[in-house]
Amino acid sequence: MKSAFRNAVALRTLPHYHFINPHFHSLPRFSVAAVSSPPSSLVSPSKPETFRFRRRSSPLRVRYSSMTGGETDAPASMEKQFEDFRVKLDEAGSLRERIRAVVNEIESITRLMHASLLHVHQSRPLSEVLEKPKAQVDGLKELYGRLAEVLCECPGEYYRFHNDWRSETQTVVSLLAFMHWLETGKLLMHTEAEEKLGMNQAEFALDIEDYLIGLCFLSNEMPRYVVNQVLAGNYDCPRKVLRFLTDLHAAFRMLNLRNDFLRKKFDSLKYDLKRVEEVYYDMKIRHLANGDSAEDNGTQGQS
Amino acid sequence: MASKSKTHRLHQLSGTALQSIAKRPRTITTESYMKDAFANYAGYLNELNEKRERVVKASRDITINSKKVIFQVHRISRDNKEEVLKKAEADLVAVKDQYISRLVKELQGTDFWKLRRAYSPGVQEYVEAATFCKFCRTGTLLDLEELNAGLLPLSDPAIEPLQINVLDYLLGLADLTGELMRLAIGRISDGELDFAEKICRFSRDIYRELTLVVPLMDNNSDMKTKMDTMLQSVLKIENACLSVHVRGSEYTLLGSSDPSFLMGVPDMQS
Repeated sequence: MKSAFRNAVALRTLPHYHFINPHFHSLPRFSVAAVSSPPSSLVSPSKPETFRFRRRSSPLRVRYSSMTGGETDAPASMEKQFEDFRVKLDEAGSLRERIRAVVNEIESITRLMHASLLHVHQSRPLSEVLEKPKAQVDGLKELYGRLAEVLCECPGEYYRFHNDWRSETQTVVSLLAFMHWLETGKLLMHTEAEEKLGMNQAEFALDIEDYLIGLCFLSNEMPRYVVNQVLAGNYDCPRKVLRFLTDLHAAFRMLNLRNDFLRKKFDSLKYDLKRVEEVYYDMKIRHLANGDSAEDNGTQGQS
Repeated sequence: MASKSKTHRLHQLSGTALQSIAKRPRTITTESYMKDAFANYAGYLNELNEKRERVVKASRDITINSKKVIFQVHRISRDNKEEVLKKAEADLVAVKDQYISRLVKELQGTDFWKLRRAYSPGVQEYVEAATFCKFCRTGTLLDLEELNAGLLPLSDPAIEPLQINVLDYLLGLADLTGELMRLAIGRISDGELDFAEKICRFSRDIYRELTLVVPLMDNNSDMKTKMDTMLQSVLKIENACLSVHVRGSEYTLLGSSDPSFLMGVPDMQS
């Protein structure tokens, strides 16, 4: 708190001042709490509508007596109200801490999953890459269950604390979608994602915007994946990824977005698509892509 | 067949994916699941954004009209207190009935917290106006319970009533001290020194109470800046009252009801 001192010069240069207002102590700023404020009702008794001048003496007498006496209504009810606020806000604060604790655990699992999934860039066999992350999905589901329990204690306040787990959830969605795509070549649906995380309860659902942003994070991984797959000799990959991203981009174009974070992420999707197109085109013109006219319908990736 | 598909591929590459896909039924079957799903998401987002817009518009209306109430209260003086307050209170009720009522149906359920950033400024301004009126009327702080009780009639008893939450109330209260400061300075120049001192004590109380509560608030960075401004306001009020005290004996010598007394007083050094 900034400390601010009165201009003490004014006090010192007027010796008679102390006489007139002996109650006025030149207290430093921080002990302002010690100065009890006399209740307003005593100073202007029965005629609230006329704020006349008072002779200096009478307010003084009143102030003295009120300082020794008890407080009347105004400050006491104010104190009580603020005490209630303190209690309520304290509770919300401790709730928030518990949420943060669960979110930290979620974050450490997602870090592990992400690290395991990064093996896919090193052309390990798919089943091996996916083994560990799949096992950890259950752990995630359990953590989200705990989050739901914590939130049960404050019904209707899902969005009050939403920002505390928002970005972690978006990362989780992107990881799950990536795993799903690697396995099936298809896009993970919102309802499927909810199921995997146990977030399909009435009060605790997966926010759609979080889901969509998670999909955009998924697309951010694609260009690098394509490049590494081609390096590893999988010339089939770019076509499949290109089709997938084109479809995804077309689907996203159906949305009307505001100029918010989701829109920025959607814009980045375009650049990912462009990058994959470039890789595919480079391969195409050098006739590296084999059997490109065969219309595969998004079946399993043959690495 | 192969060449046709090649030209369509090129179309895809140039980015007009949507149109080319329409010419290729095979692609529609593979990605129709995506399109159906996204059609739903589009509907959801449209609804959400439209609701958000309505809430923002209501919030702006609340803000403007609450500000008018505040300016009305600033016109108060010892002569016209009753009529000024009467009009202000009537206007405040009108704000509540006409504008806040629009928020009631929009903020049902989880939207209350989801859309908070959209309506919070308006609600804060309303809190400021309501507490300002109440203080000028009774010298006490309008507490949140009472304020919210006034909002209950707006909502259908069957649904969740719209209630102002603690955070918006405290933010509005923080702005109140700024208006109190202006009022105090204004009243001092009109010679209403007791009223100014009342304001001084009141704003001290608010500031003191808030210092204990602010650290506990969610996302309290804007509240922290408000606290700094509030301290400045409280200091201004106190210093203004100080000047009056210091020259207090001079005022009483010149008499109470003569408005021109200020002309005779030598230049005040702040």
